[in-house]
Amino acid sequence: MCPCGCIGKHKKGYFVEKTLNGGAALMRQVMFSEDVAAQPGLLQRLDPRAKIVGLVVLLVSASLLHNIATLVAMYLLTLVVAAVSRLPVGFFIKRVWLFIPVFTLIVVLPATLSIITPGKVLLQLWTWEGHPEGLTEQGLTSAGLVVMRVAVSISLVVLLTVTTPWIKLLSALRALGVSRIFVLIIGMCYRYIFLLLGSVTDMYESRKSRTVGAVQHDKAARTLVTTSAGALFGKAHYLSEEVHQAMVARGYRGDAKTLQGLRLQPIDVTFALGVVLCAAAALGGDRLLGR
Amino acid sequence: MSDSAPLPQNAHGNAVFVCRDLEYAYLDRFQALKGVSVDVLAGERLALLGANGCGKSTLLKVLDGLVHPTGGTFHAFGELVTEDNLEDEQFSMGFRSRVGFIFQNSDSQVFSPTVREEVAFGCLQMGMDSNQSLDRVHDVLTMLGIADLADRAPFQLSGGQKKRVAIASVLSMNPEVIIFDEPTAALDPRTQHWLIELMAELNAAGKTIVVATHDLAALDQMADRCVVFSEDHTIASTGTPSEVLYDSDLLLAVNLVHEHTHRHNKAQEVIEHSHLHPTAASHHHA
Repeated sequence: MCPCGCIGKHKKGYFVEKTLNGGAALMRQVMFSEDVAAQPGLLQRLDPRAKIVGLVVLLVSASLLHNIATLVAMYLLTLVVAAVSRLPVGFFIKRVWLFIPVFTLIVVLPATLSIITPGKVLLQLWTWEGHPEGLTEQGLTSAGLVVMRVAVSISLVVLLTVTTPWIKLLSALRALGVSRIFVLIIGMCYRYIFLLLGSVTDMYESRKSRTVGAVQHDKAARTLVTTSAGALFGKAHYLSEEVHQAMVARGYRGDAKTLQGLRLQPIDVTFALGVVLCAAAALGGDRLLGR
Repeated sequence: MSDSAPLPQNAHGNAVFVCRDLEYAYLDRFQALKGVSVDVLAGERLALLGANGCGKSTLLKVLDGLVHPTGGTFHAFGELVTEDNLEDEQFSMGFRSRVGFIFQNSDSQVFSPTVREEVAFGCLQMGMDSNQSLDRVHDVLTMLGIADLADRAPFQLSGGQKKRVAIASVLSMNPEVIIFDEPTAALDPRTQHWLIELMAELNAAGKTIVVATHDLAALDQMADRCVVFSEDHTIASTGTPSEVLYDSDLLLAVNLVHEHTHRHNKAQEVIEHSHLHPTAASHHHA
């Protein structure tokens, strides 16, 4: 593009570039998570098994709550735990609430309307045969409940995944009885996603370096995506074959043995008791407050 | 019932691997090995040389029991190695614990979530308990100077670090024979030098080394004996590194060097290099 702007035109990156940038962002996020998991915070000190069990208990109790105030209290508690685990609270809030408008609000919005959830109309939007129609109190309450449940659940999952190194999470799943081969496959998927992401970026950049002129969102672009996907599939297949050979070469015979290195400490027991008390208090408070 | 076949009569008495008339074709169409016969002797450093696609890597995989020849026989430590025999747990464990393979692409070999898990993988599959394996891991990582990488994830490592981890993952099993596929490819000169020295140290410690390489400049440091493959997937010649490196006709015939590549020998100092000459007649200089 000429500096004076007489020729050429600046265009925003197209969908392939955006997808690849998304992949690179994922990579950065994972690197960041590893840093957070290495911080000397509260959750980082705990045994991952205690954290997984605690997470499940809190998730179940959150799904049984029917009062928004109790859910808000639980959400505030996750913020406090994030802060004492040295997790940047701004990042934590953003990470949780960025998902909710996209995935949850779209789903629950229709339920706020009187045609789906009848009740007391708080905001009239139109009339139907003389009856006021719009957002109902009951609909908004139901939507609020769903949104808060999702927010609490995502917060709990983010707290677990960001404060626990991936390897420890896998070891904990194994220790809690999840199938060995399942854990091995998840571990490999995680490991090779980054390698294949690198291959995709290389393939795209090699094409970009040979592309002159504006990139069109046309058939050629779609062809690039499909042919690249095919080439990547071939590479992934070759890689998987070599990985299997590398495992076999070191004695793998279909049942991989892994290191066992987890030990429960008093702090883990204290945490587990705290979680149970918290869940009981939330359920009790919810029953007292009613719907 | 396991497969068996007597050791060929002309096998060398000190051979750990004996291959006779090996044939292999990928997808039954692309020939990779054609009548290959070679003995690997205990304690030697054997280099496989040849142009890309001549069958070196396939032979290495046959030697590690990862692919099985469609014709010919392969004996390791006096026993016939076949797919059926490797199904036997005792045979497989014995063979795997005695032969280590270092892949050209370290990404294929470094598949565990952390370096510690990776290096412990072979020991654990061989039946060692976690504590024994961790002791081995610690020793090997310290020996290779990468103890600080133990908790790192493989995707966070550089190419040279991955190669060291791949080597550590094999050394932790303490095999008798170590097979290297293009070990110096895509490594910086410092890491290449470190690797060549390590191979010499391992050989001095009694390990048999088999290496596929294109690195002619470092060949005499890496090997005692060379097997040269031609592009028709047969063995063109065998000899010492000096015999092979000074045989320009052989190297040209197997497409390993360009016609402008040659060696100078001044006061025992060999300098191999390539450059353009103004006339064809000036290719040979003393």
